[in-house]
Amino acid sequence: MLTERLVTDVLLAALSTGGDFAEIFMEDTYNTMIRMINGQVEEGVTGRDYGVGIRIFQGTRSVYAYTNDTARENLMRVALEAAAALADTPQVKSIVLARMAVEKFNPIVLEPRLVASTDKVGVMRKAHTAAFDYHEQISQVAVNYLDVDQNVFIANSDGLMADDRRVRTRLSINAVATKGNEKQSGFYGPGRHMGFELFDHIDVEEYAREAARIAVTMVNADYAPSGKYPVIIHNEFGGVIFHEACGHGLEATSVAKGASVFSGKLGEQVASELVTAVDDGTIANAWGSQNIDDEGNKTRRNVLIENGILKGYMVDKLNGRRMGMEPTGNSRRQSYKYAPTSRMTNTFICAGESSFEDIISNTEYALFAKHMGGGSVNPATGEFNFAVAEGYLVRNGKIEKPVRGATLIGKGSEILQKIDMVGSNWSTGQGMCGSISGSIPADVGQPTIRVTEITVGGREEAK
Amino acid sequence: MDIREFKDQVFAAGREAGLEEMEVYVSRSKDFSVRIFQEEVDDYTVSLEQGVGFRARYGGKVGYAYVEAVDEDSIKLLVEGAKANAQIIDSDDEIVFFAGSAEYPEVVAFNEELGKVSPEERIEFAKTLETEAFATDSRVALVNWATTGYGETDVYIANTKGLEQSFSRNAAYSFVSAMVKEGETVKTGGRFLFKNDWSQFDAKKQAQEAVQEGVSLLDASTVKSGEYRVLLRYDVVQDLLSTFSSVFSAEAVQKGLSLLGGKLGEQIASPKVTLIDDPLLPNGGASAPFDAEGVATKTKEVIAQGTLTTFLHNLKTAKKDGVESTGNAFRASFKSPVGISPSNFYIKPGEKSYDELVQELGSGLIIIDVQGTHSGANPVSGDFSLGAYGYLVENGKITRAVDQITIAGNFFKLLESVEEIGSDLEFGIPGYGGNVGSPSLIIEKLAIAGN
Repeated sequence: MLTERLVTDVLLAALSTGGDFAEIFMEDTYNTMIRMINGQVEEGVTGRDYGVGIRIFQGTRSVYAYTNDTARENLMRVALEAAAALADTPQVKSIVLARMAVEKFNPIVLEPRLVASTDKVGVMRKAHTAAFDYHEQISQVAVNYLDVDQNVFIANSDGLMADDRRVRTRLSINAVATKGNEKQSGFYGPGRHMGFELFDHIDVEEYAREAARIAVTMVNADYAPSGKYPVIIHNEFGGVIFHEACGHGLEATSVAKGASVFSGKLGEQVASELVTAVDDGTIANAWGSQNIDDEGNKTRRNVLIENGILKGYMVDKLNGRRMGMEPTGNSRRQSYKYAPTSRMTNTFICAGESSFEDIISNTEYALFAKHMGGGSVNPATGEFNFAVAEGYLVRNGKIEKPVRGATLIGKGSEILQKIDMVGSNWSTGQGMCGSISGSIPADVGQPTIRVTEITVGGREEAK
Repeated sequence: MDIREFKDQVFAAGREAGLEEMEVYVSRSKDFSVRIFQEEVDDYTVSLEQGVGFRARYGGKVGYAYVEAVDEDSIKLLVEGAKANAQIIDSDDEIVFFAGSAEYPEVVAFNEELGKVSPEERIEFAKTLETEAFATDSRVALVNWATTGYGETDVYIANTKGLEQSFSRNAAYSFVSAMVKEGETVKTGGRFLFKNDWSQFDAKKQAQEAVQEGVSLLDASTVKSGEYRVLLRYDVVQDLLSTFSSVFSAEAVQKGLSLLGGKLGEQIASPKVTLIDDPLLPNGGASAPFDAEGVATKTKEVIAQGTLTTFLHNLKTAKKDGVESTGNAFRASFKSPVGISPSNFYIKPGEKSYDELVQELGSGLIIIDVQGTHSGANPVSGDFSLGAYGYLVENGKITRAVDQITIAGNFFKLLESVEEIGSDLEFGIPGYGGNVGSPSLIIEKLAIAGN
């Protein structure tokens, strides 16, 4: 770790050309990845990411530099090289660092680095067997194990000095079902901000069987009808639709520049009044939680939308300057190789009042998207697309039959207004979210919701 | 510590720990990028980084480890990590450490002149992107991206079999995206460029094309669902080809994850389609004289006039199939194990210009963008269902823009139903699916969902 003296010297060097704020982010991360295909471990990789990122602001101008040589002379050189992008006289002449007390609310019990590889492989085998034995149509099972032990140190010219440790563990299971010439896959990827004790908290075999069940269901399904009609989106990873279609548009990264459909709409009705949505980085041990964000701010529970009214954005320090707003604990980055920016943590639509059964039985005709795949959005226009990983047709209040190959497209702002039922069965799922500050773990979530109409893409015309 | 010295120390420590064979794969890169927002430098990033990927055979199996810091601690991490990881491997696949090819091709991928462009010049370029975008049309509300960057990468591979090769490559990129607004309608138009010749960067042209595209979409609406004859613009074909490029990988074939398995020598595409993998392409984004295992690269036709002629191999898959490696071993970074990827991978262009293709389309749709290839496409089945937009064409003329539609089909059927190939070959951004290039294509029919 860096000495306080070195940190101060580097920050002052970074500010030597007129910057008004400088920050150091140092990272020392241990990673493990094990890949198993058809019950055989094919690859094991362990590694250490190590480096420092230096960020300088002058007003809303931002400079970033990073290196993995942390010797004094190199850090000073990099700080000066970054500072060279600005060319004024120094404003900040002294810095007094004070260590911040970070409340560690994500306890880690079994440090992954102290767990034997064979135990990790043991969990993978359990998942493989459960998925493979699920059905005779399962032709391949791939299981990936991942753990990350990220140690960060953050210091800035306002005097902040903090460190944090983020340990995350994840298992992902991909099952392929084959029927004749056709193949379909099913996926589950449970993960938490915790150590190897994850596997005391979750039933690996249950997740594996679910992945297999999705694959088998889909390989035996007809194609989904295309057209514009009602869609019921299930809980858990179904929340990816809110994450993509609305969450990204509520990040200061796009709001500050007026590049979001939600810019300038605080206090306005942007969603059906059934919708309350939150970004909450403080849920103990959740996949997207952190004790502090990557600028050293405490994470928070931020209400984004309350009863349909837009209440707040997710704000980082730089964009906060543009917007005249305080940071909300959402500043995140994949690693020291990225300048942080406003990102989601655990983002979800809150529980409503309808039971799942009521939603189905009150629906005449709809696509029921039980499991969602990934998706993406253009924050400027709000146009999104999502793949439905497991779909069903609902007819006359009953789930009629499974359908595959559906894609949902539309505009986030329109979908939010068209939510007409919100369930009480709230739950979350895990994803990796990619944006300009890299790929980061994020939870999505919601109860089952019903949307009056969405364009469903597929190969068969609606009948 | 010098990297060769570091390698010697790692190999010495490894021998002491009983490792049987060892290899280092080192990449070092220097990058610069600048982004402009409202005439100010909004983001300016410089970086210098390196990473060492290490793999070693122990007890006959191969384990991996990597580090970024080149110091004493790292030597221990590499040796102990790879050794521990070797011990959990079950797979009986034979992994070969390669002593080197008899000769290596000459490949030009480092442009000295490009490296000499100053940061000031690059900042000026990004500013021009923004200014010219605003100047192009009064409906430009915001230029949400005006950025350019430069990077150079050195790759060095050495192993205990005697292999020792290195190679350098550089490239620049620029991206501009404009938000255009008319009434309540908002559209974006963007243009990306990735080349290693600075003279091919024209900020004004790039900005104008981006804005014109955005503006051309302002009158967009959906179309009736049904089957349409479709012109896929070159960049859409690039997206599809890179999404599905794994189907040509021998690894996917051997694992039963490619429907092309068993089809070598068979007609799998329209006779008009020739698909080339050319790692020797001068200044190509994925050009290199050797692959990630140190095997000399070579140019080959993967599909020759519709016939599947080869899969892409690394040493492991080649050994399994009893063939030679095609020089397509690939590591996404020093952190990644050896896999397979195409290099500069492109559909051979035809004779007709884009405008001629539009005429020839007659009535149908032009697709200029697809979204969701990472989720709405299944490389195993070949099925895709993607958000899309573009234009409606009637009697050989574009009549209006189209949005809020999806296109659905199957990659293998798409290859069979290529009716016409344009002359407008362009390459995209090098990535996991290779550095993919394509001209625009007319496809007999695709399912479109609108209303």
